[in-house]
Amino acid sequence: MVGSIYNIGLTALNAAQAGLVTTEHNIANANTANYSRQQNVQSANQPQFSGSGYFGQGVNIANVKRAYSDFLTKQVFQEQAMAAQYDAYYAQIQQVDSLLGDTNSGLLSAVQGFFNSVNGVGVASTPESQSARQSMISAGNALVSRFQSIGQTLTDINTSVERQISSSVATINSLATQLASLNQSIMSAQTAVNTQAPNDLLDKFDNLVAQLNQEIKATVVQQSDGSFGVYIGNGQPLVLGTQATQLTTVRGNADPTRMEVAISSNGAAVHIDQTSLQGGKLGGVIAFRTNTLDAAQNSLGQIAMVFADSFNKQHSMGMDLNGALGGNFFNVPTPTTTANLLNAGTGVVSTTLSNAATLTASDYKLTFNGGTSYTLLRLSDNTATNLPAGLPQTVDGLTFTLSAGTPTAGDSFLIRPTASGAGGITMAISDPNKVAAATPVRSGAALTNLGTGTISAATVNATPTTPNPAHPTTDLNLLQPITITFTSATTYNISTGVAPAALTPVVIGAAYTAGSTISYNGWSVQISGAPKTTDVFTVVPNSSAKTDGTNALKLSGLQTQTTVGGSLSYVGAYAQLVSQVGSKTNEIKVASDSQSAIVTQVTQAQQSVSGVNLDEEASNLMRYQRAYQAAGKAIQIANTLFDTILSLGR
Amino acid sequence: MRLTNYSVYDVNVNSLNQLQVKLAHSQQQLSTGRRIVTPADDPAAMARSMEITQADSLNNQYAANRVAITNTLSLTENALSSATTLLQDIKTIAMTAGNTSISNADRQVKATELQGRLTDLLALANSTDGAGSYLFSGFQGGTVPFVMNGASTSYLGDDGQRMIQVSSSRTMASNISGADAFMRVKDGNGIFSVTPGAGNTGSSYSSMGAVINPAAMNGNSYQVQFTVAAGVTTYVVMDTTTATQVAPPLPAVSSPYVSGQAITFGGMQINVTGSPANGDTYNVQPSQNTNVFSIISNFATALANPVSTSNPASQAAFTQSLNTALAGLDSALSSVLNVRTTVGARLSEVDILNSNGEALGAQYKQAMSQLIDLDYNKAISDFSQQLTMLQAAQKSFKSMMDMTLFNYM
Repeated sequence: MVGSIYNIGLTALNAAQAGLVTTEHNIANANTANYSRQQNVQSANQPQFSGSGYFGQGVNIANVKRAYSDFLTKQVFQEQAMAAQYDAYYAQIQQVDSLLGDTNSGLLSAVQGFFNSVNGVGVASTPESQSARQSMISAGNALVSRFQSIGQTLTDINTSVERQISSSVATINSLATQLASLNQSIMSAQTAVNTQAPNDLLDKFDNLVAQLNQEIKATVVQQSDGSFGVYIGNGQPLVLGTQATQLTTVRGNADPTRMEVAISSNGAAVHIDQTSLQGGKLGGVIAFRTNTLDAAQNSLGQIAMVFADSFNKQHSMGMDLNGALGGNFFNVPTPTTTANLLNAGTGVVSTTLSNAATLTASDYKLTFNGGTSYTLLRLSDNTATNLPAGLPQTVDGLTFTLSAGTPTAGDSFLIRPTASGAGGITMAISDPNKVAAATPVRSGAALTNLGTGTISAATVNATPTTPNPAHPTTDLNLLQPITITFTSATTYNISTGVAPAALTPVVIGAAYTAGSTISYNGWSVQISGAPKTTDVFTVVPNSSAKTDGTNALKLSGLQTQTTVGGSLSYVGAYAQLVSQVGSKTNEIKVASDSQSAIVTQVTQAQQSVSGVNLDEEASNLMRYQRAYQAAGKAIQIANTLFDTILSLGR
Repeated sequence: MRLTNYSVYDVNVNSLNQLQVKLAHSQQQLSTGRRIVTPADDPAAMARSMEITQADSLNNQYAANRVAITNTLSLTENALSSATTLLQDIKTIAMTAGNTSISNADRQVKATELQGRLTDLLALANSTDGAGSYLFSGFQGGTVPFVMNGASTSYLGDDGQRMIQVSSSRTMASNISGADAFMRVKDGNGIFSVTPGAGNTGSSYSSMGAVINPAAMNGNSYQVQFTVAAGVTTYVVMDTTTATQVAPPLPAVSSPYVSGQAITFGGMQINVTGSPANGDTYNVQPSQNTNVFSIISNFATALANPVSTSNPASQAAFTQSLNTALAGLDSALSSVLNVRTTVGARLSEVDILNSNGEALGAQYKQAMSQLIDLDYNKAISDFSQQLTMLQAAQKSFKSMMDMTLFNYM
């Protein structure tokens, strides 16, 4: 019996010691990420039977168990992946938000500065002032460089997104390698004879999975051999047993200017659907690029292109100080067209802007169906337009032309009409004299007129039908001097030439109605009142019209016209863009805040199962210390008992 | 529920972070004075504020334009007001010179004086604005509008209206066409003119006439033809447009002429005074445009011609010139007055637009302030509340962390 006391005491000592070891381990790892608290599972030894019943044989440690909930842990990973996605998205979008909304660096102040130089004591009201014209050129330069600088900053943000993608891919690859080798360790730790779980290795595995979820959302499934499979995206295996798949970055097929994530397989890159890459920093920046950055670049580009185009149109309806018809004020950026890398044919498609008024901010995909048929897909709303008659075709203000080569059925082209619009706008003129502030033709009534007829100021028709529809730079007849002579109170002739030069009648005996419009050579005037026979009105080139700001006034009117997409002014469109980005930023911020609250909640739930509480461990320390002392005391008593028995023989 | 070491620290660090972020945002609001620091703070208000900023900027543009147009119109009004004074002055000179008792030499002096006034008037009509552009030359601000070439004056400007935007819905011309002010002066009495025939040899002169029956006016030209036969002077009035006799009515052959008695035809009446010679005529036709410079210049020429009591024809010719000049000057004055009225109306409209613009500007500022500006009371109270919360969180975290069983071991 005494021997048994020794033995039991020994098992108790060992158990208490093991308990202290585990407790110390817990205390040591109290701040280790993803460490799960460990507990010794003690059980009583097999009892010894005697006639008087079963005598206990002490205690043993059945196993070291980790406090772990598979469900809670996976939930934490999932929520953390979402939180990392929102954080990455927010970090990027808030740059765009501040950029566009800033009162100094945003577009608003530059647009206003430009139009102030056109109107508010600008060229429109003091067209004769060289300094006003010079300041309009300078303000134009400032506006153009503001467009370019915002465009450049967005391009820079895109570059940083690509850097983030590369760095995420590198981190994911490194984590995948570590996970694969850890799988090896876990498998070798769990042999057929040893079924005890390698707790710390499993925690380490979880820790790596947690880090992986910071980069991309990953799912973990335990395999039959005890190892873990890690999957990303649409179920692409990242780690299977000891095998780690490597990700790589490649140029996109549809848009070779764009970096995409692909799976590297036997040295070749396999393209994967980018939208399937959810969660984590990678998911965040990819979502940011697709949903916000592209849209912002396109919208800004649309404003720049519509601005340049509409301003040019009105500007070319004017006359400059040299007496020449106005030219382009801005250079309008050209749409970019890229052929799919997988195209089999040699076809090259080019896209030109033909009507900015109907231009949208969307990207387009043009697919060749064989024969002469093409399909144009507007990517913003997936509206398909069939073009069975082949190219060239004009849709949404864009003209698509097959400029070289022959496409093969299935070939596609990505058209991003406005993506580089903000960066591409430049000034077309630098000479203040070339600002076309005046209207090209002026009307007048002869001093010898007897009647009460008055002639309105001549206006240039937007789309003249005679003599040359390609107006107005090629419409030289706009500047032909014209005389309108009344042959009676109700009829008039139109003649080329103005007295004292010879008059050549070109329209004879036209009926006169007071106030009705008379159009010729691309201009229109109204004559009202009661002219008398032989009364003469003239429409002549507005040469040396230093003090005429009529066209500049019309240019300034563009500030409030709904030119963008037919419904918004320049600033209105910009305000809409700012508001869209602002709303998205706000949405992401709110989502990010609530996601971090969710992460806190699930982490607390998971920690309440697996975490280490130092007070608890302190009490455990005391408990095992007491147990150890008690077991020691029992051995001492057994020793005393031996002494008692041995002393009997003396 | 177990609280664990890791989560207690984590949660606390998180919540301290969040409190600090909020505090930083409040601080940023306070330091910028703006409720909306970036568009994300209130996207709708930001977009609205951009539109209001644009409207306000346009309003300021228009206000600047109104200042500019007020300056130009005031300069124009000054020039026109001086022109009015000058024309009245010229009219006084003409009336003094019309006194038949003054000598030829005195008339010569008056003629010279008139030439001087004419030069003054031409200078006024060629006035420039502060920047050197001519006020009355239409679109061609760099072109001298009125050029006098001997007795005739030509207008080299045009009818162009220099339009300036003075409010969102109103553009206003900042100039007056020089042609309207000085070149479209109706001759005669403004409705029709009476001119003696070029070959008249008698000593008669005519009044400028008057309309007595507007309904009977048809715009035709007429000629009063005198016949002196056997010491009896008779006249007929022919409608030269239709080549028919209108007075006396057919079949009468002619009417007897009485000096100073009214001759009536086609709704008009003229008075011929003196003794017309056989074959003398007066042409009556609808008024045409003449210019103020010709009126003065012609009268100065007439003044320079000697008049003598021994030559009734020269007296009659002078009276005729005087009548024409006085009527012409009246027409010229009314032309200038017309455009001055236009300028005055524009200036007073600008005044009204100014006060509208100011009211609008104040509205925009208030709207902007409501959208963007910070409510300092609320912001400061938020800031102190957040500060208190952060302090409380820090202190409680510290005390909580101090509580551990290890203290007692």
